[in-house]
Formats: sequence, structure tokens, C-alpha cells
Amino acid sequence: MTRPSGGLRSALVVGVQGIRARKLRTLLSMISLFLGVLAVVVVQASAETANRAAVADVELTIGKDGTRQAYLPPDGKTVPIALDTAAGRPGVVVLIQAQAIIGEPRVGPVNPGGMPFDMAAGEPDLGRYNQMNCNQYGCVVTEVDKATQGSAVELRLTGLTADVRQFRPFRRLSGQWLDFTSPPSLSPRLVLNREGAKGLNRHHVPAEMRLPGASVNATPRIIGVVDDGDAAPAAYVRADELFNWLNPATLANAGTGLQMMVSPEAVDTIQILKARLAAAGLDPNSAQFETIDSRARVDTQLVILQWIFLGLASLVLLIGAAGILNVGLATVGERVEEFALRRAVGTPRSLLAGIVLAETLITGLLTACAAIGVVALGLRYLGRYVEGRLPIPLDTNFPWQAAVAGIIAGLVAGLLGGLIPAIRAARIPIATVMRA
Amino acid sequence: MTRLLELTGIGKSLRGQGEPRTVLAGLDLAVHSGESLAIVGRSGSGKSTLLSLIGLFDRPDAGRYVWGERDITALPERRAAALRSAEFGFIFQRFFLLKHLTAAQNVAMALINGQGWLPRRARRERVLAALDRVGIANLARHRPARLSGGEQQRVAIARALVRGPRLLLADEPTGALDTETGNLVVDVLHAATKDGCGLVLVTHDWDHAARMGRVLRLADGALVPASAPDQPSAGQP
Repeated sequence: MTRPSGGLRSALVVGVQGIRARKLRTLLSMISLFLGVLAVVVVQASAETANRAAVADVELTIGKDGTRQAYLPPDGKTVPIALDTAAGRPGVVVLIQAQAIIGEPRVGPVNPGGMPFDMAAGEPDLGRYNQMNCNQYGCVVTEVDKATQGSAVELRLTGLTADVRQFRPFRRLSGQWLDFTSPPSLSPRLVLNREGAKGLNRHHVPAEMRLPGASVNATPRIIGVVDDGDAAPAAYVRADELFNWLNPATLANAGTGLQMMVSPEAVDTIQILKARLAAAGLDPNSAQFETIDSRARVDTQLVILQWIFLGLASLVLLIGAAGILNVGLATVGERVEEFALRRAVGTPRSLLAGIVLAETLITGLLTACAAIGVVALGLRYLGRYVEGRLPIPLDTNFPWQAAVAGIIAGLVAGLLGGLIPAIRAARIPIATVMRA
Repeated sequence: MTRLLELTGIGKSLRGQGEPRTVLAGLDLAVHSGESLAIVGRSGSGKSTLLSLIGLFDRPDAGRYVWGERDITALPERRAAALRSAEFGFIFQRFFLLKHLTAAQNVAMALINGQGWLPRRARRERVLAALDRVGIANLARHRPARLSGGEQQRVAIARALVRGPRLLLADEPTGALDTETGNLVVDVLHAATKDGCGLVLVTHDWDHAARMGRVLRLADGALVPASAPDQPSAGQP
């Protein structure tokens, strides 16, 4: 370990002696600086907390940073290739999406097209209506058969080949998540999202699920509810339980979607998929993988606000630095003889400046520690207060970035406030002691 | 005895608000190791200025300053600070003890000056040795407010001795002390020369000056041998 030089150690030792000798002045300096450093720490902590919340929200709906994802054409050839490529590979999930209606047979859903229930009319549509199904390739308008009076809800059903939460960290609200280790059940186990659960809670419908292209209607079991960040009703099911009732080759004509998510550790899967697509005579470029960058997406949204608030905090910090400067100048004025004496015993001018700077920097550091402690405590109590009161859980752990910002702010303020007193101390003529 | 320093043709003017006033003109001086030298003279004759030049607090306007064999007339400030730390010990009329520090910490001040670094234990040993040398090791933990004038000056002398200087520069060290205490302080200073340390004592007190090996009077910017005040060649010190 590199040891600090004699000059640095001397500056620190004498600086600490000076602080201990002038506790009240140090306290006053800290008070004048406290608000500025506190403002910086609060802004940084708020920004980081908001950033975490926003990133968590984006991760919930889009995916974690670094995940490679692609939307594939859900045709009869691509689907089996995608499923076969993903089978048994860790870090790869295929998502097959289809619209499903749960409820009485031949009854139109209360939320045609799977719209959120609060946006739906509230009554079953008794006539013919056009249902629009959209994916990345565009939207298809389908005329739905005339419905009879009854009750049914429509939702987006996503079949999963593996646990998608490695990419999208759904928050479990009740029940349990899908178990991919057990044998597939003939009664598809569904996990609803919040809106889906709301619909089924509001409309008591029979457990019969209609899927476009399915041979017969399946009887699903609802096993849990998660928050997936989606405002539209949705349900998740094991893909193999879905394919008990649905032929993958029939998916293409039902307004379905096919998505593959790949972890950064399993990127070789992408090459394998493309090779298999090419071997099957399909265009390998139809699998265009993009990398999810949730943090960058969120950062661009928050960074401007963060800089504005940091700018305001810096102004408060400058006022605090002016307080240190004021106290520092007064202190140097009182210590003229001490500094002259120190020069007489061989202390270089630079070390005298270093002593004054050490004192102001230590003062800034102590202030930063106090501000960090206050904000950390505040965040802890805020966390307890908001627990269960917010729609999304808020991570109120004290962010290390706020601590770094506070320490930097304290040191910068100490440097700014101590610089001029330090220069003055270094310029004190040594002959002062002779003429005294 | 080896020669510690030699000043040749030193000139110095002080610049105030009016015309520059010449205080030293063509001054010559040599000091040897183990030698004790007293400089007497009227107030304003330039004694303290001379001490400032010797101690590298200031630079002469003219002349040459040789330390050992080295010409240090125009020594840069950083090197001058290093030389002050290594070779000189300073004692002032006012003791300049820092009231928030103990006697030991005041002495240690001379060791915590950026000129190298001593571990805490070694520093403590040297501080206690210096305090012991001036006879107040038992007062190491006392703050200046609890020390008498003589004790405070002895702490200041310990501070000057702690780095083992080759030359002690004392500017009226007994000026703020009563006669008895002043004698005690001069005893301590004189004892330091036994170890080969040179001593330059600026004083108004002839009795103290007379105890030095050599007494010089500063008059008209130059040094001349001094005799006792009641002798015809001597004026008021």
C-alpha cells in the first residue's frame, strides 16, 4: 500500500489539530455547508431512486438490459424451428402470443380485442364486431361471429417455453408462478396479469378458453396473478400446455406473435436459429435481434431533470462554500502568528496551504457524511411509509451514487471555500514572528 | 570548531511607507559550531533584521551568505525552509506556543513540518528527550495556559532543539521573563552549546550577553566588539 507523503500526513495531522481546536467554527462551517451538500445528496438519491423505479418498470414491460430479443414471423415453419432451437437451452425463452377468450361459448367478450376493462363498454357486444389483432408486422382486422348474450373476457395469452422472469422480472401479486419442471397438464395453468385478474374478478365467467385454431376449448386453471406492467389483460401459460390444444402450425393465421428472448450468455442460440431458418429455406434475416437497453431509455428521460436539480443544488452548495470561505478567511487572520511560526520551523508555504485545505476538506467530508446519514435515514423511513401505498414497489435502499455525489460535493465545497484562505496562509510573511 | 556560517558585506534596507532605511551595511560575521555569541545594540539597530537574515526569513540586499561551504545567499524558499528545519532552531521573545496544544504537541510542531515524516513513537521519544533536556519532561501533557513564563520559554527552547539544530537563534528570549527565570533560560541555551550547537543571542540584557563566549554590538549597520556598559567604549546595549 502506498503511504501518503510526509507533507500530506503533516497537513492531515495539523488540519485535524486545527479542527479540534476550533470546534465551534468547524460546526458553523458545517452548518453553512450542510444544506448545499444535503441538496446534492437528495437530488442524486431521488434521481437514482426514480431511475431504479423507471428501469424496473421498463424491465417489467420490455426486458432487462442486455437481453437480445427478436420478433419472428409466426408461420408454420418458423414456430417449430424456434421451439426446437430454444428447447433445453438455458437463457432462451420463446413467447407465443395469441388472443384467447375465456367465458361462455359463442359469447362475445366484454372487452373486444382484449382492451382494458375500464375502457370497455361494460356490456357484452351482442352484434358483430371487428376485432383488430396487431403485432410487429401490422394489424389484422377480423370480423368476429355474432355473439349471444352471456359473459366472456378476452385477453392476450402468452405461451412460454421457459421462465420469462429471467428477462422480465414480473412481480408476483398472489398465487404462484408457472412451474416448468412438472409434466404439462391437460388443463392449462394460467397466471394472469393484474388487468386480467381484474376482469375475471369483475366478470364471473365459466372456465372455458377459446383459442383461434384450437381443436377444442380447454378448461384453464388460474394459479396466480403477477404484475407484468401491461395495462391490457393478459395471461401466461406454459407453451407445452398450450400446444396440447393448439397446433403450432396453425398459429400464423390467428393474429399471433412469436418472440424469442436470449440472455447475453446464450447468444450462440441466435446463430443456431438463423442457420436453421436458412436450412429450412427461410430468410435468416427475418430474425432481427435487438439488444434491450432499458437504462439508456430511462436515462435519457431523467437526465435532463436530474441536471436541472443538480444545478439548483450546486447553487446552494456555492452559498455553503462561501460560508466556509468566510470562516476560513477569519481563521487565517487569527492564525497569522501560528503560520509564520510554522514557516520559521521549516514548514514550506505549500504545506501551510495544505493545512488550511486539509481543514476545509475534512470539514466538507464531515458535512458530507452527516448529509449522507440524514438522507439514508430519510430514505429508510420513506420506504417504511410508502410500503404498500404505491402501485409499484419503490426500492428505497440508499444509492451509492448519492453517497459519492455527496462526498464529491463536500470535497469540492471544501476546496472552493478553502482555496483563498490557503493562498493567504501561504503568503503570510515569516518575519511576522520577529516583529511581534 | 568548524565554521557554521559566514556573512560578508551584508546590506539590508527596510522599506516602509517612506524612504528605505538602511539597517545593515557591509556587515561581516562568522559563527562557529559550539560558539555562543551575543549581539547587543540599541532598539531599531537591526539586531532582529540580522537574525532574520541568518535564519533565512529574509534575504540580504547585498553581500554573501555562506552556510558551511555552501553559498545560500539566494536560496529558493523551498530549500530555505528545508535548511531552516534541519539546521536552525529559533527562540523568540514571545514564546509562540499554540494554546490548544500540549507542551509535547507544541514541541512536536517542529517535527510535523513536511520535512520528512517520523513515526508517532519516534516523534514522541524525540519530543520527550527535548523536553527532558530543558528540564520539563514532567510537563509534557500540560497546555501553555498552565505553564509559567519560564516553563513556556523552555517549551519553546525544546521546540527549537528537537530537530537537533546546528545553530540556535534566540531573539531576546528573556525579554518577557523576570531576572531569575531569564537566567535559567540562558542557562538552558548555554547548555545547548556544549553539544556543539552554535548560539546567536540577541539581547538587551548585558548580564546575559556577558555569559556568551563573544559579544558584538550592532551599530550603524555593522558589528563591532562590545564591552561592558560601564566601560568607556560601550554604549547602551
